[in-house]
Amino acid sequence: MEPTSDNRLMEEVREGKVERLAILFERHHVMLFNFFLRLTGNRSASEDLVQDVFFRILKYRDTYQSQSKFTVWMYQIARNVHIDHLRKQKPEVPLDEQFEEPAVAEPPAIDRLSADVDVTLLKRALDRLPLRKREILLLSRFQEMKYREIAELLGCDIGSIKSTIHRAVKELGKIYFELQGGTSP
Amino acid sequence: MKCECEQIREKSADYLAGELDEKSLAEVRAHLADCPACREELEGLSAIWTKLGVLPKEQPSGALRSRFYEMLEAYKKDMEKEREKQGFGQTLSHWIRRLMPRRPAYQIALSLVLIAAGLGSGYLLSVRSRSAARTEVAGLKSEVDDMRRIVAVSLLKQASPSERLMGVSWSARIDRPGDEIIQTLLETLNHDPNVNVRLAAADALYLFYDHPEVKEGLIDSLAGQTSPLVQLSLVNLLVEIRERRAAGALERLIQDEKLNPKVKKRAELGLVQLS
Repeated sequence: MEPTSDNRLMEEVREGKVERLAILFERHHVMLFNFFLRLTGNRSASEDLVQDVFFRILKYRDTYQSQSKFTVWMYQIARNVHIDHLRKQKPEVPLDEQFEEPAVAEPPAIDRLSADVDVTLLKRALDRLPLRKREILLLSRFQEMKYREIAELLGCDIGSIKSTIHRAVKELGKIYFELQGGTSP
Repeated sequence: MKCECEQIREKSADYLAGELDEKSLAEVRAHLADCPACREELEGLSAIWTKLGVLPKEQPSGALRSRFYEMLEAYKKDMEKEREKQGFGQTLSHWIRRLMPRRPAYQIALSLVLIAAGLGSGYLLSVRSRSAARTEVAGLKSEVDDMRRIVAVSLLKQASPSERLMGVSWSARIDRPGDEIIQTLLETLNHDPNVNVRLAAADALYLFYDHPEVKEGLIDSLAGQTSPLVQLSLVNLLVEIRERRAAGALERLIQDEKLNPKVKKRAELGLVQLS
């Protein structure tokens, strides 16, 4: 049996069969959780944010338009939820500046497995990427979104998404290299 | 050459995501063969892009799921209340629309008649709207049941035992379980690696013992169980539901030489109780 598409399920939710949201939750909540976790670095905050996304999906279910892909709409909501979260958290610091600040650098433990070190360093390097670059990189690398979909989601053209990806990966590589202490990658 | 290098840079995002068609890929490769600078850059990008794959996919805690379903049920209940209110309102306005004549003089006449007949029609209206609301609520109950079924099955298929336990408890909340839930619970009872989950599944199945497949399933399951706890629980359940067909299964169980003595004692007592 062919599984029901996300869009069809969301249409049903919009029409009042809200229990169908359970399937969409099961399909997407782990991905969303990881998206938030890589943006915030905080597990419990990320769980709250996932909950908030699904709450807003219910609340605004009437506004869902089937011509756009469900995940594009869902990540639009997710971005808004994240932005609201940042505003609540640090109202005095402008958004851009928060993410330009380098994370506190701890030297990686030498006795740890190199894979663990990789993970720690990569996470730290990702944290140092400016928010927009990080978001776009996460959406394409981890959230299985096509550049075309990310462009739709952010309301810009696909060319600028592709060039942001290019710059983001390049910058990430540079930060990662620096965090490694300048040794070969 | 410069211009070509720019073109390659534009294609690098597609290259990383594996979105280049064969023709473009061949062009990129041909250029890389001639241009060490571009080759080095793209190799660096690919390395970091691939490296991102080591970041593990993290799992949220079980609390996230239970909070979500609490929210969904609460929302559903609110909708239920809303619809009940609306149902009444719609019936009322429908009646008024049907009864109201177009001309004002008649309207006045009618309202006098209505006042006279006030109590009686009021009574009729309330009976009507109540029965309409009842039908609506019955429909919603079955939708809530549908939701619980979806939730239970999806939880029972999760990797963590605590989530599967939660799945079992969700299935116990379903009014009319349907074949899928029964099958999934039987599967859990027979094959779940975790004893606690198997025990919980046996208890949940007990709630649905009037379902024809459940009795058979419980009897069949006895032969396959190895944990004394689950064996004890199944023997108790079979005796409790007075399932005479279970006698054969109990006899076979007793004959097993490796059987835990306590289970054996309970099974022997069970045989007496069933006869």
